[in-house]
This record gives sequence, C-alpha cells and structure tokens, in this order.
Amino acid sequence: MELTSSLGLIAPEILLSVAGLFLLLVAAWAGDRASSAISIAACVVLGAAFFLVAPSVCAGAAGLETVAFGGQFRADAFAGFAKLMIYAAAGAALVVAPAFFTRYAAMRAEYPVLVLFGTLGMSIMVSATDLLTLYIGLEMQSLAAYVLAAFLRPDQRSAEAGLKYFVLGALASGILLFGASLLYGFTGTTQFELMRVAMAGPISTGTLFGIVFVLAGLAFKISAVPFHMWTPDVYEGAPTPVTQFFATAPKVAAIALTARVALDAFGTHADAWRQVVIFAALASIVVGALGAIGQTNIKRLLAYSSINNVGFILIGLAAATPQGASAMLVYLVIYVAMSVGSFVAVLMLRDEDGAPVERLADLAGLSRTKPALAFCLAAMMFSLAGIPPLFGFWGKFVVFQAAVQADLVALAAIGIAASVIGAFYYIKVVKVMYFDEAVNVVRDRSDWAHWALLIISTALMSPLGYLLTGPLSVLADRAAASLFFLV
Amino acid sequence: MVATEYLLGYLPILIFLGVALALSALFVFLPIGVSRITGSHRPDTAKLSEYESGFPAFESPRSQFDVRFYLVAILFIIFDLEAAFLFPWAVSLEFTGWPGWITMMVFLAELAIGFAYAWKKGALEWE
Amino acid sequence: MIGIEHYIVVSSILFVLGVLGIFLNRKNVIVILMAIELILLSVNINFVAFSAFLNDLVGQVFAMLVLTVAAGEAAIGLAILVIYYRSRGTIAVDDANRMKG
Repeated sequence: MELTSSLGLIAPEILLSVAGLFLLLVAAWAGDRASSAISIAACVVLGAAFFLVAPSVCAGAAGLETVAFGGQFRADAFAGFAKLMIYAAAGAALVVAPAFFTRYAAMRAEYPVLVLFGTLGMSIMVSATDLLTLYIGLEMQSLAAYVLAAFLRPDQRSAEAGLKYFVLGALASGILLFGASLLYGFTGTTQFELMRVAMAGPISTGTLFGIVFVLAGLAFKISAVPFHMWTPDVYEGAPTPVTQFFATAPKVAAIALTARVALDAFGTHADAWRQVVIFAALASIVVGALGAIGQTNIKRLLAYSSINNVGFILIGLAAATPQGASAMLVYLVIYVAMSVGSFVAVLMLRDEDGAPVERLADLAGLSRTKPALAFCLAAMMFSLAGIPPLFGFWGKFVVFQAAVQADLVALAAIGIAASVIGAFYYIKVVKVMYFDEAVNVVRDRSDWAHWALLIISTALMSPLGYLLTGPLSVLADRAAASLFFLV
Repeated sequence: MVATEYLLGYLPILIFLGVALALSALFVFLPIGVSRITGSHRPDTAKLSEYESGFPAFESPRSQFDVRFYLVAILFIIFDLEAAFLFPWAVSLEFTGWPGWITMMVFLAELAIGFAYAWKKGALEWE
Repeated sequence: MIGIEHYIVVSSILFVLGVLGIFLNRKNVIVILMAIELILLSVNINFVAFSAFLNDLVGQVFAMLVLTVAAGEAAIGLAILVIYYRSRGTIAVDDANRMKG
C-alpha cells in the first residue's frame, strides 16, 4: 500500500518529530535541570536517524521506490547524503552548547528540542519534491532558527541578531513564496516533476519571474551575495554554538534544496538560471574575500568565510551536471568539517573568567600560550584557504574540475584567482597567532568533548583526509546520480 | 538569438514591475503630496502636539501595555488558525477515509502537546 | 470582466508595498511585522486566484498552509520583539545597530 511504503520512507523524519515532541514535554515538566539529559537524548535520536538514513546513501537509492506521498517527498541518496551531514552537524551543535550556555546560566531544556525541530525541517527540505513540502520544511527550519538566534536572552546582541534574522528571513520566505505562487500559476502544478514537464518548450515570462524569485529567496537562505547582508550580524550576535549550527546544518539543507529545485524543477531551463547562479557564485567569492579583510571579530570573519565558501559551492551547481552536483556534495562535507572545527576552536577561546574571547587581537601569540589549539586553528585556516597539502584543497579542486568539464573555464579561472585573495585573511589569522606579541588572554581549559570534535575535524582536514577521497567520491557520485534520475 | 528572445521576454515583466512599483509608490506618496499641496505646511508646537479631548496629553500614547496581552493573542491566533484545517478535512472525510482520520488525529495530538507545553509553562495564567 | 491579470496586478502591488514597507520604514519594528504579513497575504491572493483560474485545489491548500505558517511566524516575531524590547527598551529600527562592519 502506498501510504505504508511512504511512511517507511519518512522513518527518520517520524523519529525526529516524535522524539522532539516527547522531549518538549520532558522539558516542560522536568525543567532546565534535565537539560543535559535532554541534550544526550537528542544526540542519541540524531544518531539513530543517522543510521536510518545511512543504508539508502550506501546503496545509492534512486528512482520510483524512493518517492513518497505521490511525489511530494523523495528519500533518495542525494537527500540521504545531505541528511547525514545535517544530523552530524546538529549533533556537534548539541555537544558544544552546554559548556557555553552554563556560563550565562542560560542552558535551557528547550535548546536541544529546538535543534531537533530545526533538523526535522532541514530533513524535509532536502527531500522536498513539491513546493508545499519545500515551504513547510523551510519554515520549520527557519522558525526554529529565529528562536535559537535570540536564545541568549540577557545579551543585547543576541536579541538583535534574532530580530534581524527574523525580519530578513521572513522577507526571504515571502519572496520565495511569491515566486512559488507564480510558478504554480504558470505551470499549473506544485510538483517538481510535473513542473519540469510543463516548462518544456519556450519559457513564459511568468515562469521566468517565478524562477528568479524562488532562486532569490533560496539565495537568501544560503547567504549568497547579493542576499548576504544578514550573515555577519547574525553570526556575530547569535550565541557561538548556535552560530556553529547556522554555519553548517541549515546551509547544507538550503544548498541541497537549491540544487534540487534548480536541477529538477528548472532542469529543462538550465540556461535561464545558470547566469544567476554564476553571478551569485562569483559575487559571493569576491565579497566574502574582500569583506573578511577588515574584520576584527572572529565570528564575523568566519561569517564572511562562509559566504566565500558558498560561492565555491555554487560553482558546482552552475555546472548543472552530475559531476557538478557530486563536487558540490564533496565540498559540502569538507566545508561542514572545517566550519565545525573552526567554531569549536573559537568556543575554546576563553579568558580566565571563562568569558568567550571573540576579538582577533586577543589571539595574538596563541601559539606560545596554547600551542595545540593554535595548531588546530591554523590547520583549519590553511584548509579554508585551500592550500594544497590540506583537505580543503580537494573540495576546491573537484568543484573547479566539474566547472571545467562543463565548459565553464572562465568561471573556474576567476574562481581560482579569487581564492588567492581569500587566502590573505586566513593567513592573517595564522600570522596573528604565530608571529604577534603574546597577549595571553586565552586562559581557560576546555572539556574533552570540545577537544574530541576539534581533533576529529583537524584529522579530517589534515592530509590524512585524502584517504577518504575514494569512498567519498563514490558516495557523492551515487547521490548526484540519484538527483538526476528522472522519474 | 536566444539572448534577444529572453530580453524580449523580460519586457512585460519590466512593465509589470514598473506598474506595480509606480502604483505602490503612488499610494505611499500621494497622500503626503496632496496634503503638502492643499494645506500649508507650517508645523508648530501646537499643531504637532497630540490632541486629547482638549487637554494636553497626560502620558505618551505609546505607553507599553502588558506583555500578557501579546501572549494571549499569539496563542489564540495559533490555535485558532490550526482549526482552519478541520473544515476542509471534515467535508472531505468520505474521500480520505481512515488514513485521513488518523492523520488528523495525529495533527490534533501534536496540537495538544503544544497546548500542554504552553499550559505547563504558565502561558495561560493571567496572574 | 475581471481576469487573472487583475489579480496578479493587485497581488504584485501588495507585494511591492510589503517589501517597501520593510525597507523604507525606519521607526517601528511592528510595522515590519505588518509588512511581512502583507507580503504573505499578497501571495495568498495569487494562490487562490490561480487555484480558481486553473480549477485546481492545490492552490487553496497552499494558501491555507501559508496562513497558518504566517500566524506562527508572527507569533515568533512578536516573541523575539518582546525579548529585544526588554533588553533594549526601544523597538525603533534605527537603534538596531549594536553590530557594525
């Protein structure tokens, strides 16, 4: 029966929602005392969801048997691949949170619940093959994210970040929705498959308008230039564990969603959206690189770095080929690991009172006072810059390779040139840590969970990461193939 | 060739957006403009002070009012609008059958959980 | 005879008004919330008009979902606004400048 098989396909989402609702009740009755227990339970749930999704990724699930609810939802290998990254990133955001919030006595039991609901929304987003599912998933993720940004209630910057994120995020949803309504009106359907069929042939102005609006709304969510202006403020103001979450999981979800919308729903008109994506890619790389140069706050710097990275990922999308999609996924894996590593390192920077250190100047001479931490952070920075022995280089390499194979040589050349500019500010951070006069601000010791995450991500980014290129590219190729499998 | 077709295709959109922009700008600026033209624009303290039945205002009209009003209004809107799903569900139940019935019960259960959370957190208490 | 174009023009005007309301307003964040609602309602006009025009129910289902999500969004927006007001004592847009760069 169709319903039963559909329910089987959305098992990870059912697990997440049931667990989220249950933990919400626990949070209400047990109160903030239970927050650590709820965090652990949420991590376990994310782990279980991870293992529920993993088989479909390994098997490269594609085709009709992955379609649920009459074409509204698709649990294929592409969605699975993105979900694995999302669950892992959400788990990391849960692990680092207690140490940060406890200092402000603000570790509330709702934090893990909100992360779970946000993750559920992202999980729906990456599987969405209908504008309805897309919208529900996107809003579920966004609403949880707005609350998370304002989670540190006594902090003025957190409240302001929440407000800014809410206003601009709601505007983005509105723009996307307006585009969706035009697409529905001019193609007569909300399903991606049928939309692609309806769009075949010459494109009507209404449809074109719809495509542009939907892409603009999505560009907002992935913080691609010219819709990036909220990113630095929100990343700076939000509590650091939440910033780490924003920089990883929702970004993966929104990029995977953009890829599915562009390649599936708008697949017959790649020439119509390619210009937009190429422009956004190049502008993101350049603005991300130039904007980061003058920054004195590390979180702000990492925000510009994430804008810059989104540009490289969009180059993979601009290729509009299975190779491009696969390169995008590989880059995303590396990006998530690098972001988690950098933000965990930032979280570990605390002065003797345990207050977080966020200014770049306070890092001066970190290599003398905290050599291990400085070494890991330096590795992250070199990897973000894409300097060859480190794994970050591989992500850029596959993306440019896909672009060249798709005859976008000029795009690849400009991207490579711009990544050289980008290298400047990453290396500046390393210079401050290794060659400046030691100020000895960072004093506090960190717990084992932070060290474990930092060491794992540093190991992934080290040349050891190249051992993974084989399995990673096989899985990413299968996932990309499932995206291009036309039902 | 393709490029010019696209450009031509953009023309109606441009007009369309232009009309929308012009009309909405008109709505915003016309009243301001009309009042500028018809009345003489000479603001003074007497004109700018707010009028409250002949007395000078006792307090700022923007005084904050209780945040509990917001809370009640928010909760009302949410639970009220979810009920909007019940009407189409009720009239189409004969087509959706048991799966439809169970789905709606799951939805209502989720709403009940949200309600229980709000209740337990004290959002429904006035004092 | 009122055709589909008229609905699209009305909804486009409302949409542009909503977007302008977000960007031109410098006084009060509540106005921004209202502008967001205006945008979502303009979308709803589109959906319902297209739904009637295409003789297809999906548009109306979508409109209903948009309505409920809009309520949730307004609720969360107001909640964040209350937090912001408590920490700052103002809800003027121009004052939201604690972070620069």
